[in-house]
Amino acid sequence: MTDTKNSRRTIRFTLNGRPVAADIGLNQNITEVLQDSFGLGGSRESCGQGLCGCCTVIMDGKAVTGCLTLAAFADGASVTTVEGLADGETLSAEQEAFIETGAFQCGFCTPGFILMTKQLLDENPDPDDEEIRHYLSGNLCRCGAYPEIVKAVRLAAGKRRNA
Amino acid sequence: MKPFGLAEPASLKDAIAMIGDADSGVRPIAGGSALMLMMKPGILQPETLVSLRGIEPRYSSIETAGDGGLFIGAMTTLRRMELSADVARHAPVVTQALRRLSNVRVRNIATLGGHLAHGDPHLDLPPVLIALRAKVHIAGRDGERQIDVEDLFRSYLETSLDSGELITGVTVPAQGNRKSAYIKHTTRSADDWPALGLAVSFSLDGDVLRDVRAAIGAATDIPQRLKSVETALEGKRAADALQGAGDAAAAEAQVHSDARGSAAYKRELIRVFTGRVIRKAMESAAGGTI
Ligand SMILES: Cc1cc2nc3c(=O)[nH]c(=O)nc-3n(C[C@H](O)[C@H](O)[C@H](O)COP(=O)(O)OP(=O)(O)OC[C@H]3O[C@@H](n4cnc5c(N)ncnc54)[C@H](O)[C@@H]3O)c2cc1C
Ligand code: FES
Ligand code: FES
Repeated sequence: MTDTKNSRRTIRFTLNGRPVAADIGLNQNITEVLQDSFGLGGSRESCGQGLCGCCTVIMDGKAVTGCLTLAAFADGASVTTVEGLADGETLSAEQEAFIETGAFQCGFCTPGFILMTKQLLDENPDPDDEEIRHYLSGNLCRCGAYPEIVKAVRLAAGKRRNA
Repeated sequence: MKPFGLAEPASLKDAIAMIGDADSGVRPIAGGSALMLMMKPGILQPETLVSLRGIEPRYSSIETAGDGGLFIGAMTTLRRMELSADVARHAPVVTQALRRLSNVRVRNIATLGGHLAHGDPHLDLPPVLIALRAKVHIAGRDGERQIDVEDLFRSYLETSLDSGELITGVTVPAQGNRKSAYIKHTTRSADDWPALGLAVSFSLDGDVLRDVRAAIGAATDIPQRLKSVETALEGKRAADALQGAGDAAAAEAQVHSDARGSAAYKRELIRVFTGRVIRKAMESAAGGTI
């Protein structure tokens, strides 16, 4: 679609498995649209500069920085947020692992870490600690739950292998 | 961000026709990671963005030539380059540099073309590509041209692209038995923007260095060759030339103080890391090191 005059448009995409549409401003990023149009707060803007990972969403199978990704680029894509991980009341392996290891205090960074954990384990089902640290180096936790987060990733890897 | 329009052409030709003149308020967007950082605080307020995401797939592909040369399309994401077996085989120093360039999410959206066209000196790939003697492919309304990567950068955030020109890709020539290395030095986290980036590439004739290429990024106004280092090393045994090369680099590079360190500190970094990057290349397998 080419639209050089209008600063708004309607986009259609798959959100956590369901087809959806939204009327967006072209200057909105995907995190803003998830919050404003769908009431989803899992992807949240913190640094706004690509550094902290709080705004992480998975778009067409890849983790992206929501705060720097134009919502218009989600048109036609498949978007997964932390809200899409649980199956009804059943939490995903990554979610369970973060709870069981106590890998958070305030929880602000947790959706981003959980989505990145899912991505890492999709790519590499049995990462060692160095691989875990490297993959998650772009996610910041102000509460400093890093040791527990690394444990949570290992636990999630085990749960997924045994599932 | 101020409202703007968005065009999504399906071909490179249409994209070139749309970007038109430099001051028209029309700006190409690839991944958008660098643009968004400038648009959010209002440093840049384009009227229209022309997305390159829909142009022909060739511009997001990595192709190898029979002799080991590589063509990497401008729309190839940095993550695809990082995971490419062809890049790892033919230019492992590129793979190595990418692993510490920002984070996975940024590499998933950032493209090679946007990386180069951004013209920020604090980027990791320009010195690496300069050392590998890579060329930038450029297309405009008047046709195509190729330039050396080092000739792309004019001044801070300014490139030698003419209005209406787009980067279409980069070729990295076959490296044969050349050895290469890159050292990124950060003063905050390990994957921060570099305070200094140094890259070197050379052939070994016995233990004598030949056809040396050295390049610097981040500490200087623009990424550039360090010709005094190349001269100091050419035809010498590395062990005899490291000190002289470090001194030459520190004298040649015009460095500035900024948030990542004072000019004096950076000069000292350059002196020390010039020797280290040469040694790292000596220890690497042919082509580079991961
Ligand atoms: C949090 C964060 C951390 C970072 N850390 C690092 C780091 O450690 N090291 C490092 O090297 N880099 C780092 N970067 C920078 C990153 O490499 C660039 O933002 C990225 O490569 C730009 O690519 P893009 O496709 O997103 O470009 P865009 O933002 O889409 O475009 C950048 C510029 O290039 C122009 N443009 C885009 N494509 C073309 C084309 N094909 N032809 C002509 N002009 C074009 C645009 O108009 C714009 O001016 C970081 C970025 C972020 C957000
Ligand atoms: S809010 Fe997007 S990375 Fe920090
Ligand atoms: S749990 Fe508070 S920021 Fe990570």
